[in-house]
Amino acid sequence: MTQSSEPALRAEGITKIYAGADAPVEALRGVSLSVAQGEFVAVVGPSGCGKSTLLHISGAMDRPTAGRVSIGGRFVDELDEDGLTGLRRRQIGFVFQFFNLLPTLTVLENIALPLLLTGASPAVAAAEARLVSARVGLSGRLTHFPRQLSGGEAQRVAIARSIVHRPLLVIADEPTGNLDSVTGAQVLQLLAELNRERGVTLVLATHEAHVAAAAHRIVHMRDGLVERDGGAAA
Amino acid sequence: MSLFRTVIFRHLVAERLRTTTTIVGIAVGIALIVAVRLTNASSVRGFQAALELVSGRTSLEIVGAGGAFDEHLLENLGWLREYGDVSPVIDGEVVAVGTADRSDRLRLLGIDVLREPPFRDYTLSDSTVASGTRDFLNLLTDPHAVILTEKYAGPRGLTRGDAVRLAVGDRVQTFTIHGLLKDEGPARVLDGHLAVMDIAAAQLAVNRPGLLDRLDIRLHRDREVGESAREIGRRLPPGLRVQRPAERTEHVERMLEAFHLNLQALSYIALLVGLFLIYNTVSVSVIARREEIGMLRALGVSRRAIQGLFLAEAGLLTAIGCVVGIVGGRLLAYGTIELTRTTVQTLYVAAAAAPPRLTTPDVLLALALGIPLALLAGAAPAREAATVPPIAAVRGTDRANALGGRYGLGVGGALGLLLIAVVLARQPAMNGRPVLGWAAAVLIVLSGALVVPGVLRTTTVLVRKVLHSWFQLEGWLATGNLAAGITRIAISVAALAMSLSMMVAVAIMIGSFRETVEYWIGETLGGDLYVSSATGPDRQPDFTIAPEVLQWLQQHPGVAAVDQFRRESVIYRGVPVAVAFGQYTTLLDYGNLVVKSPADWRTALRQAIGQDAAMVTEPFALKNGHRVGDRIELPTRGGTVALRIVGIYFDYSSDRGMVVLDRPTFVRYFGDRPPTSLTVYLRQGYSPDAVRDDALNQLGSRHRIFIRTNQSLRREVLRIFDSTFAITYALEAVAIIVAMMGVATTLLTLTLDRRRDLAVLRLVGTTRRQIVRMVVAEALMIAGVSQAIGLAIGVALSLILVFVINQQSFGWTIQWHVPWVFLAQMSILTLLATMASALLPARRVARTEFVDQLNEA
Repeated sequence: MTQSSEPALRAEGITKIYAGADAPVEALRGVSLSVAQGEFVAVVGPSGCGKSTLLHISGAMDRPTAGRVSIGGRFVDELDEDGLTGLRRRQIGFVFQFFNLLPTLTVLENIALPLLLTGASPAVAAAEARLVSARVGLSGRLTHFPRQLSGGEAQRVAIARSIVHRPLLVIADEPTGNLDSVTGAQVLQLLAELNRERGVTLVLATHEAHVAAAAHRIVHMRDGLVERDGGAAA
Repeated sequence: MSLFRTVIFRHLVAERLRTTTTIVGIAVGIALIVAVRLTNASSVRGFQAALELVSGRTSLEIVGAGGAFDEHLLENLGWLREYGDVSPVIDGEVVAVGTADRSDRLRLLGIDVLREPPFRDYTLSDSTVASGTRDFLNLLTDPHAVILTEKYAGPRGLTRGDAVRLAVGDRVQTFTIHGLLKDEGPARVLDGHLAVMDIAAAQLAVNRPGLLDRLDIRLHRDREVGESAREIGRRLPPGLRVQRPAERTEHVERMLEAFHLNLQALSYIALLVGLFLIYNTVSVSVIARREEIGMLRALGVSRRAIQGLFLAEAGLLTAIGCVVGIVGGRLLAYGTIELTRTTVQTLYVAAAAAPPRLTTPDVLLALALGIPLALLAGAAPAREAATVPPIAAVRGTDRANALGGRYGLGVGGALGLLLIAVVLARQPAMNGRPVLGWAAAVLIVLSGALVVPGVLRTTTVLVRKVLHSWFQLEGWLATGNLAAGITRIAISVAALAMSLSMMVAVAIMIGSFRETVEYWIGETLGGDLYVSSATGPDRQPDFTIAPEVLQWLQQHPGVAAVDQFRRESVIYRGVPVAVAFGQYTTLLDYGNLVVKSPADWRTALRQAIGQDAAMVTEPFALKNGHRVGDRIELPTRGGTVALRIVGIYFDYSSDRGMVVLDRPTFVRYFGDRPPTSLTVYLRQGYSPDAVRDDALNQLGSRHRIFIRTNQSLRREVLRIFDSTFAITYALEAVAIIVAMMGVATTLLTLTLDRRRDLAVLRLVGTTRRQIVRMVVAEALMIAGVSQAIGLAIGVALSLILVFVINQQSFGWTIQWHVPWVFLAQMSILTLLATMASALLPARRVARTEFVDQLNEA
């Protein structure tokens, strides 16, 4: 993780227009957002407000139609396809609603994957993955395959994978959306702890007020715009 | 129907590539079967059509048991008129000189102009109508008169009154065209390649003075054919026999049977691969749509309806494939006829193949084979679809993954099948057909298919580290993907392995055969020059060598000896076999044979000189169950004669079987006929090229002879050999291409099916290039496993082909030989082609925007 005075994420005037069936759809309309390193920001809003689009662009998974994004001071629009891939590989971690684990890899292998991609030796990657998995409470599940896990366990694997390579920024898109309330609360608690203990910068999208309440800062979105930056969840 | 349209049809349209590949796979299989069937039929029909045109209204014909017969026998056959009209015929072959093209061979019909009308209708063309009768009668008075067909003469600018040079054997004679026949009746034979002469002129022209080829009989209305044939047969003198004209076609059919059967069997392999594609497509379709099926089940669609839907998918794909295949087969037949032309004309009959004709039985056979087999292939995945529980609709992870326990079952089953195959392979032929040999071959191929999942499983474990070091992380991921996708990929791998095994087996068989033939010609082609009067491989008895040529060669100071050779066709046990003469003394002094038995064949042959004895070829001995010392009863001009077999020798020039007599023995029983080829042995110090040039300078102006040196004849033999097997390679190559298409579409389906996994990889930082490399590594494993199984099964299969099927079909002993270089080339090509075929799905998936995949359930 790179430590500097630069914000972990800076988005300026982001616009995203999709080609719709009848007319273009404006998903984001000039959104700006800055997230300091170590900050835990929740982006809230109703379905279709643009929060997932904002996260995709913030995570270098998608490019904006207009506006600029920088991650750790590095402008994303200056990077080509391979540069973006490299940025995601080293600087960003992801957690999604549907876990998105690789079914052919074991828990340990899923967690170690980002390290292997950065060129770490299998032994080093496995050792790191063991440490992180112990932290998320999966030590007893390392040789299991994703289909053998419960939803909560699968999401904890996804969280472990997202932090194992010590990224600058973790993007979590509705991480509790596919879990029951008890498991969802446990996952949320884990994310908050990791933010606190490891200084993981966390940008989390949710439509649930109690989830957003765990964040340092809440960004409210509606119709592709930031309605309010800061304050409590609605 | 609406469910079919929405669930199956739309999906097939959406999955255009896979749908097209499957249809093409089935279509190619069906097309090959149809094409080979049409080709087989056309070679017989070409002969049959020519026969029917020339036979006209002939009900029965009398032929010599040992070829042409003495016309004096006619004096004692006056009683034949009790049965009907009788007309003598000379039926030969001549070459119109001026073009060296084979197509300028003409069928020569020598007829008795006065007795001919009841048998055949000749219509002279418009320009000669007024003088038509006179033109025909002129044939009687002018020994150099000939009537050609309008169809032949027109394009060549020939007309009535023109001179035409015809070569009969090695002699070129000039004839005058006395008329042109309209394109009707016999004039249509061989696409107009017909010359008609008076019988006496024809006897002289074809050098058969005093001999007749046959007597045509047109029975009186009150005579029944079968009964008359029996009566006439009883009354005929020795050396003559009666037959229906159609029997000649039956003989040709029997001669071609083994060749046709094996060709047909090979064509079924492509269909088998096509059926695997059907199984594969429906399986993939079921696996990829488990949630959708579960949803339908949840909505109340019955198991039977689900099963019906997927069976209907198999049926629809096959029906379209069959229609495309039938039409394609008809077109393909032109190619396969051309590919088999040399083989059929070299080894069997000289008649030109008829153009392909698609008949209702051909269409019905294609449908009857294709649709039920495809439904059978689709039955298992359709049944699997019916077992999908409604809960699958909401449980994305409920993917088919359970096969673990079946690996052992596959290997056990394969061993069982192999054991049965070994037992079957050791059984003799059934009615001369290697039925059990083919059954053993099928079992071996199936055993290969059974071990595929187990071998894939083992491979993914064994090569994980190797691929990791070759392809880094991508290789490691690839092994995991493949291990997880075994149930889906196994069928494609089996199809590819099956077609590769057939290719390997056929390559080994052909390689073995070629090696054997090369050894054989090396040992037996000891002459320095080979003289014939026809180009190409013909052994038509009309292509004779004049005594003057023989004499000139024998007197040449550079010539040590000249062996004479001629073969005739006789019917032995209902099948045409060749009876030939050579000169045993020349063979013993100068030549060589590769003899199967006895070991001391030279002593046996020396004792047989001039005796009632014969050397026979291996196919003749094997097909008739003869051994050295047996007596064979051959039909000859003077009746049946018993000859003792003094030796059996290897001969790969024909599977018809040949009986070779010493020339004096042949003359005694078949008459003194001129040779059709000569083998010339030179004295030391004389160059074959110099003697050849000398002979052509001295004899070339008067005689149409072809002289080959030893080297050029060897080249020609191998050229004919290679062209014979061109179709075999073509059939197998098509099967492999179809199988590869199957692998490519399976890879595409597999990669598309796990696009969310690939999106995750992209998300965590895997580059597009890495994704491509991963899919290519998977393809490499698939190709490697297919190749390994294909090679193993192919080697086993080649043993069956070489030692069982070939021997029982053709009667040839072949030394087993593995063409390593060819197999290595083929293996590398397959690996590269399979990897290349993976690039399309790999690139397609790598290009896909991955973000959308991640938020889907």
